[in-house]
Amino acid sequence: MKIFETGHDYSYEWNLVSAAHWCKYPNEKATHVKCVDVLNQHVDPETGILTMERLFTVKQNVPTLILKILGSDTTHYVREVSTIDPRTKTLTMRSVNLTMANLLTVEETIQYKVHPEDSTKTQFTQQAAISAGSSVVRWGNLLEDFTLKRFQQNAATGREGFHKVLERFVVMAEAGHQQQQKAVRPSDSQK
Amino acid sequence: MSSSVGPDCTELKQKYDNCFNKWYSEKFLKGDTTPECEDLFKDYRACVMVTLKEKGIDKLLDESRKEAPFPSTSFGENNNNDNKQS
Repeated sequence: MKIFETGHDYSYEWNLVSAAHWCKYPNEKATHVKCVDVLNQHVDPETGILTMERLFTVKQNVPTLILKILGSDTTHYVREVSTIDPRTKTLTMRSVNLTMANLLTVEETIQYKVHPEDSTKTQFTQQAAISAGSSVVRWGNLLEDFTLKRFQQNAATGREGFHKVLERFVVMAEAGHQQQQKAVRPSDSQK
Repeated sequence: MSSSVGPDCTELKQKYDNCFNKWYSEKFLKGDTTPECEDLFKDYRACVMVTLKEKGIDKLLDESRKEAPFPSTSFGENNNNDNKQS
């Protein structure tokens, strides 16, 4: 099993980051994510926590040897369940691959929280556990190493891509805010 | 905006996404958790279900949900409790 862990601080408030993450794809850095679908959603009436189940369709090039182990189809599916607690301002996402589950399991946990030292920032943590299944006795290590490397690459482009999404999101949010301000003001000059 | 795994569902999906994004920022984050966009979600979801069946993704989801039924978030952590149907 290989473990991958990383963390990052985004200089945006949690509300904005959590809203922008729904709009994360498509982005120019993460071209391997082709589709995102919402399968289920649920708001807990007591806690106010929103739980979402999503399906990601991913297409990615892999080296020929790995392709031979994994099979020829390079389209893969990932299931993600995420919880959003607006009171504690915590967004937690857990995902696991649906395809090739007998060969390889990648379980990922991501969390976005208000930065403990600066409430204008958001703290991001990511952890993944990568393990080759029992069907891959001879090639297990190779597969795990490759997957770990690919995961690291995707994590880096994921951050870059999300930064761009956040920048666009801020601009759109400000434009929307200014429009609302104009709509409220017309009668001021008549006093 | 992202597209749907069912190409015919992308338009329905984007209508739902617009509604959801608005609700999320303007209501949910401000403390109003009353669900909205339900009709749009129903239509979009019905469309996606057809594609999931066609591609066999529904079976993959069922397997995954056995270990972690929605709305649980713990993959592979509750193997002890749920499989006592024999």
